[in-house]
Amino acid sequence: MMAYLPALPNPRTGSRVLTASLPFATAFLVAALFVAVLFVPALSHAQEASRKDIDFFETNVRPLLVKHCYECHSGKEQNGGLRLDFRETTLKGGDSGSPLMPGNPDASLLVKAVRYNNQDLQMPPKGPILPSEIAILEEWIASGAHDPRTMTNTEGQPMASPKGMSIEAGRQFWSLLPIANPKLPSNKSSEWAKTPIDQFILDRLERENLQPAPTADRASLIRRVTLDMTGIPPTPDEIEAFTKCESPNAYAELIDRLLASPQYGVHWGRHWLDVARYADSNGLDENIAFGNAWRYRDYVIQCFNADKPIDQFFVENIAGDLIPDSNLESITGTGFLVLGAKVLAEPDREKLVMDTIDEQLDTIGKAFMGMTMGCARCHDHKFDPIKQADYYALAAIFKSTKTFGDTNFGAIKHWHEISFADKAERESLKKVNAEIAKHQGALSTFKSNAFNKLRTQVRGQAADYLIAATKISPEMTLQEVAAIAEPTGLHPRVLFHCRRQLSFQTEHPLFLKWHEFLKANDTMQMGEYYRDLFQRTEAALADAKKKDPATKKLDDPELEVARAELYNLTGFLAVPPKPEFAFDEATLQEIGKLATEARLAESFAPDESAVMGVNDGQVLTGLPLHIRGNHRNLGDVVPRDFPEVMRPPHESPILSRKQSGRLEFARWLTSPNHPLTARVFVNRVWRWHFGKGLVETTENFGALGDRPSHPELLDYLARSFVESGWSLKELHRLILRSSTYQMSIHNEATETAAIVDPENRLLSRFHPQRMTAEQIRDSILSVCGQLDLRLNGKSVPLRNRQFVFDHTSIDNTRYDSLRRAAFLPVIRNNVYTLFEQFDFPDPTMPTGSRNTTTVAPQALLLMNSELVINAAKRLASQVCSSVSSPSERIDLLYREVHGRQVSPHERERALAFVASGSSSGESLNEEGAVQENWFLLSQSLLLSNEFIFIK
Amino acid sequence: MNVQNEMSHIHLENHNRRWMLKNTAAGFGYLAFQSLLDQVMGDESTELRGAERGPLAARKPHFEAKAKRIVFLFMKGGPSHVDTFDPKPLLDRDDGKPPPFALPKVVFAAQGNLLKSPWKFKNYGQSGLPVSDLFPNVAKHIDDLCILRSLHGSNPAHGGALLKMHTGSDQFVRPSMGAWVTYGLGTENENLPAFVTICPTLAHGGMNNWGSAFLPAHCQGTPIGNASLPTSAASVKHIYNKTTQLDKQRKQLDLLASMNHDHFEENGREKALSGRLNSFELAYRMQTAMPEVQDLSRETQATLQLYGIDDPITENFGRQCLMARRFLERGVRFVQVTHSDSEVQWDQHSDLVQGHSKNASEVDKPIAGFLSDLKACGLLEDTLVLWGGEFGRTPTSQGNGRDHNPHGFSMWMAGGGVKAGYAYGATDDYGYYATENKMHINDLHATILHLMGLDHERLTHRYAGRDFRLTDVAGQVANDIIA
Repeated sequence: MMAYLPALPNPRTGSRVLTASLPFATAFLVAALFVAVLFVPALSHAQEASRKDIDFFETNVRPLLVKHCYECHSGKEQNGGLRLDFRETTLKGGDSGSPLMPGNPDASLLVKAVRYNNQDLQMPPKGPILPSEIAILEEWIASGAHDPRTMTNTEGQPMASPKGMSIEAGRQFWSLLPIANPKLPSNKSSEWAKTPIDQFILDRLERENLQPAPTADRASLIRRVTLDMTGIPPTPDEIEAFTKCESPNAYAELIDRLLASPQYGVHWGRHWLDVARYADSNGLDENIAFGNAWRYRDYVIQCFNADKPIDQFFVENIAGDLIPDSNLESITGTGFLVLGAKVLAEPDREKLVMDTIDEQLDTIGKAFMGMTMGCARCHDHKFDPIKQADYYALAAIFKSTKTFGDTNFGAIKHWHEISFADKAERESLKKVNAEIAKHQGALSTFKSNAFNKLRTQVRGQAADYLIAATKISPEMTLQEVAAIAEPTGLHPRVLFHCRRQLSFQTEHPLFLKWHEFLKANDTMQMGEYYRDLFQRTEAALADAKKKDPATKKLDDPELEVARAELYNLTGFLAVPPKPEFAFDEATLQEIGKLATEARLAESFAPDESAVMGVNDGQVLTGLPLHIRGNHRNLGDVVPRDFPEVMRPPHESPILSRKQSGRLEFARWLTSPNHPLTARVFVNRVWRWHFGKGLVETTENFGALGDRPSHPELLDYLARSFVESGWSLKELHRLILRSSTYQMSIHNEATETAAIVDPENRLLSRFHPQRMTAEQIRDSILSVCGQLDLRLNGKSVPLRNRQFVFDHTSIDNTRYDSLRRAAFLPVIRNNVYTLFEQFDFPDPTMPTGSRNTTTVAPQALLLMNSELVINAAKRLASQVCSSVSSPSERIDLLYREVHGRQVSPHERERALAFVASGSSSGESLNEEGAVQENWFLLSQSLLLSNEFIFIK
Repeated sequence: MNVQNEMSHIHLENHNRRWMLKNTAAGFGYLAFQSLLDQVMGDESTELRGAERGPLAARKPHFEAKAKRIVFLFMKGGPSHVDTFDPKPLLDRDDGKPPPFALPKVVFAAQGNLLKSPWKFKNYGQSGLPVSDLFPNVAKHIDDLCILRSLHGSNPAHGGALLKMHTGSDQFVRPSMGAWVTYGLGTENENLPAFVTICPTLAHGGMNNWGSAFLPAHCQGTPIGNASLPTSAASVKHIYNKTTQLDKQRKQLDLLASMNHDHFEENGREKALSGRLNSFELAYRMQTAMPEVQDLSRETQATLQLYGIDDPITENFGRQCLMARRFLERGVRFVQVTHSDSEVQWDQHSDLVQGHSKNASEVDKPIAGFLSDLKACGLLEDTLVLWGGEFGRTPTSQGNGRDHNPHGFSMWMAGGGVKAGYAYGATDDYGYYATENKMHINDLHATILHLMGLDHERLTHRYAGRDFRLTDVAGQVANDIIA
C-alpha cells in the first residue's frame, strides 16, 4: 500500500528482472521514481516558477485538490499509496505511478482519471468534477504543474516507513529460525516425567512453582483417549476391561489398539479436512455439487490409517500429479488445490483465475506454513516478512497450473477434474445422460403443454375476460376478483392481471374501444365487438396457416393488432409464469412428480469416474506483479520463486521450464530444513490432542500470531517428528504416552495455578473439552446402537455439478444417514444444522482450532431434533426390553451411556422421575406415560454434561 | 479461529470474568445465566455481578446513533431502477436506438438497444419526487423516503452481487452486515436473537448472506424459514418438539439440571462445565418467545388489511413485513425481509412487464402498510428502513427484458435519521452508470453503520493476522443524506 523507495541492496539473485532485484518496489514505483528524478530538479527551484504560476496554483488548483482529492490522498489516508498534499509526493505518485507529466496533460494519469473516460481509472470516485475544473487541471499541467507545496522536515522520504517486517528481521523471527535441537531439561522431581515431553512441561511448571495434576482415573482416561483417537466413546465392556486390567502395558496396548482401528483415520482424517476446507459443494455464488470430492476425503482417511509419511502426503496434496511414480492415489491428493470455494459465475475470466490462485495461496500459506500469504496480494504484508513479490513469485507457479477445466455450463465454469473412466464406462454414461435428459424433457414438455393448454383456453375466452374486467377495478384484491372470475369459469389471476393491463394500456389501439365501452357502460356492445373481432382474427389466422403453416402475421392491420395481443405471452391474457399460480391441483401434482423424478434421476445417476485435481497448464516462468492486486494494472514480471524469508539469502530455486514448479515447491516445503512446515503440523496435532496448541493461533505463526508457550518443546516435537520419517502415529505415541497427556482435569493446587496461569497454558492439568459436532452426533448414535461404521464411498446425494440450490431454495440434501459424521455431506452456504450449531468450521477457510461456543440453538437441537429424539427412543426401548425392573433398567442405562455404575442418589432420582405422571393426561394411558418417561430419562443422559464433555 | 478473538473488544478486569465470558458465549439472555449461576455457584457468582454482561448485551455505539435498529427489505434478483425510482426521459426519447455510450468491459450477457420504461412516472408528495406506476402505494410515502440513485457495485452475477451487498465481499466468505451490526451493538431483547432473517434465499451465497464468518457465532443471523416456504409455515429450526409437551419437557430439564449440578460438584466445580447449564433454560424460553413474535393472530383486522394479509397476492410478503415490525418493536437489532419466489424473482431478463408487475404488486402494498405502521407506532424515527436488490437492470434490452446492471442502480432508505423526501446521487442520462455522488456498496455499508452510531473504520475484528472491517479498505459515509 505504501509507496517508498527501495532502501535495500539487491537481495535477490542477479538483476535480470527489475522487480526481482527490488523486491519491495513495484514496477510502477520504479517508473514513478524515474519520472520524479527527471522532473524534480526542474521543479525544485520554486523560485523559477513565477508569481503568476504560484497564484494560479493557489487560487485555482489547490482548492480543487483539497475539495476533491485530499479526503483519500493526503495526510490522513493515502489510498493507492498516493498523496497529493505535497509537491514531492504528488510528483512521485502512488502504486500506479506518477499522476503528472508536467507539460503534457493528455499523458497525465490525473487528467485521464478526472476525464472519466477510462472505466478502470475514474476519479474522484463519487462522480466526475465539472468540465471547468478539468480545464483548470489541464492548464496547470500544461504550463508545467508548478506547485509551491514543498515538504518540510524530510529528506526526500515523504511517506512513513513501512510497518512490515524486513526480510532480515524476518529471518530472526522465532518461527522462521531453523528448528533447534533443544537440550532436555532436568527436573527437580524426577518420578512424574516419563517422556521428554513431560520434562519440558515440568520444567516450566517448576519454574513457576506449579505442580502437575495427578494421573486421571482409568475410566476418564480410556474415555478421553478413545474419543480423542477415534471420535467415538469406548464401549462399556472396553471400559470395564481397562479399569480392571492390572497389566502395566494396558495403556500402551490400548493406544496400539486405537491406532490400528480404521475409525482412527475417520477421526484424524477429519481433522485434516478442517485444514483442507473440505466440502461437497462449491458454495459461494453458484452452489453446485463437488460430486467427486469424496474421493479426496477417502484418500485422506486412508493415508492417515496407513500412516503415510506426512511429508509425502503434503507433496501429494500439492503436486501428486508431478511426482515420478504418480498414480491415481497421489493425483487424488491434488484435490486439495481444487476444493476451494470459487466464484464460478464470475464473468471476468482473468479475475476468476487470479482469485482462485489467491484462494490456493492463502490456503497453502495457512495450512502448511502458518502464514497469511493472502495479505500480500495487494501490497507487502503489513506485519510479516512476506513481500508482494513473494506472492507473485508463487502465483506464477499456480498460474502455470490448471485448476479449471475447459468446459462450462452457461455462465458457470467447470473446475478441473481428471477422468479415469474407461471406454465402456463412457459409453454407459451416454445412456445414463440420455435417461436424465428424457426425464427432464418429460417435465418441460408437460409444463409447456399445460401452459399452452391454459393459454388456448384463455384465448378462447378472450372476450369474456374483457367483459368481466369491466366489473372490477384495478385496486380490487385477488380474492374479490376471484369471486367474479370463478362463477364464469375464468381464471382469477388471469383476470386480475388483465384488468391491470387494461388500466395500463390506455392508448393501445386494441383497447381504445374497451375504454370507450367502459365509459358508456355498455358491456353488450363490448362483447359483440370483441367476440366478432377475435373470431375473425382466429379465422383469418387459421386460413393463412392453411396456405402457409409458417405464417406469423396477418396482412389486415386491424386483425393483426388483435392477433398480436391475443398471442402476446405477456399481454392482456398473460398466464402467470409460476405453475402454482397457473394450474389446478392435479396438474401441479403431476409437475411435482415429474420434477422429483427428474431430480432423482440425476441425483442417483452414476458420475464419470474422476477425481478433482490439477495438471500443469502452460508453464510461465514468471508473472507480472498485480498493482494493488488488480489484474488490469500490471507491473513488472516476477520470476517463479519461494518466499525469500524462508530460504537462504542467495539460494533462489532452479525450476524446470517444462513444469509449473509445484513439485519443487512441495519438496522445498517438506524439506527437513523448512522452518515452518513441521512446526506448524506438530502444533496442529498438539492442538487436536489437548484442545489448545502450544501456539494457539494454529494458522498464524506470524507477527500477529501467538508465541509458543513451550518453544523448546515445539522444536523438540518438530525435530523428533521429522526424524521419525514424518510418522504421525509415532507422534501420537510420543504424546499419548506422556504423563502430560494423562493428567487429570483436577489439580489440588489449582488456586496457585489460577493466579499464575489462569489459561492453563503451562498445562498443570488437562483441559476439559466439549465434544466436537461429529463427536456429539457419533457418540449419541453409538451408545444407542445405531452408528454405521462403514468407511469410504460417495455420500453426497447429488450428481457431480448438480445444483445444490438453484432459485428455488429447496433443500434436498438429507442428513439422516447413520454413517459416521465424517461421511455426511458438507454443503457450503448451508452447512448441516448440527454441524453449524456445534462449531463445525466454515468449510471455505482452513481451520486448525475450532471454537467452542455455547448458544441456545444448540440446546434446541438436542432437545427437539429428530436425530436425538429417535436415538433416545431407541435407547429407551432397548433398555426396557432387555430388563424389566426399573432399578435394573436404570443400571443398564447408566452403563450404556456413561459406562459406569449408577449411584444410589441417581437411582432414586431416576426412579422418581420415571414414576411421575404424564403431561398429556387422558391421551396417554399409564403405560404410555411410563414409556415416555423412560425416553425422556434416556434423552436427559444424552444431553448431560457428563456425556458431552471429555475430561 | 481463536476463541480469544471473540471477546477482543470487551475489556475485562480480571481473568475469572474473562474466563467465564469466554466459555459462556450464550446466544441469548446473559442475565438468566447469572441468576442460574447464583444457584449453582453460590458465593463465586457474586464476583461476576459487576462484570460486563454477555456478548449480546446491548452496547453503546461509537457515537450517538440516528437509528437503533434496521430492517432491510431485500428484493432478490435486481429490480430495475429505470422502471421504478429513476426516470430517464432520454431513454424514452431514444427507445430502440443503440446505446450512445460504451458498455462495460465485462457484461453478464449480450445486450440490445435502449429500451424505454413501459411504466409512467408521476410526481408525488410535497417533494414532488417521481415514482413509477409500479409502486403507487409506496409512492404515497415519498415524503418519508430518501432515494439513493447512484448505487454501484462491481459484480454483475447474482451470487457475487448478493454476497457483495450482504457481506461487502464477492470473493471471500466474510461476516454479513447484520453480523457486524450485532457485533457492534448487541441486542435489546435477551430472549430473541439479535439478527433475524425472514424467508431468506438459500441460493447465491445462502447462509453466508447472514453468517458471522469469523465473528463470534452469536452474531450470526437466525433464519426463519426460507424462500421455498410460505411465510405462514416459516419457523426457526428445532423450535418445536413434536414428541414432548412443554410441561413434560420442563420436568425433563429440571432433571437434566439436577444431573448437571451433581456433575459440576463432583468435578470440583470445573467452570468449563457451567456454560451449558443456562443454554437449556434460554432455549426453553425461546420456544415460547419466538412463536409469540410470529403469531399474527392477535393483530387487528385493520392491521392485517394494512399489510395486505387479506389478499393472496400480498399475503406472503405482508406477513413478512408485519413479522418484521413485531421483531423490531421487541428490540431485535437487525431484521432482513427477503422478497424472493421459487421462480426468477426480480430477475427479468425477459418479460419485464409481466415479471416486474407481478413482483411489485406483491410488495407495494405491504411495504406501504409497513411504513405507515412504523410511523404510527413511532418506530420509524429510529428505525432505518432499507429497500433494494443486489443490483439494478440495464437500460438496454434483452428481448423484452433487461440485463443485470451493477454499474448504477437505486435503493431507498426511510426513517433512521436520513433526509426525507430527498433524492441523492444520479445515474447518467440513460441510467447505465452512476455518475453524481456515486455510492459504492462499501459507501452504503459505511453510511448504514454511521446511522447506527458505528464508525466503519473502528468496527474491526482481528482474524488471521488482520483487522477486518465490513468495508474492507474502502467506504465513505454519504453525509449528504443524513438529516
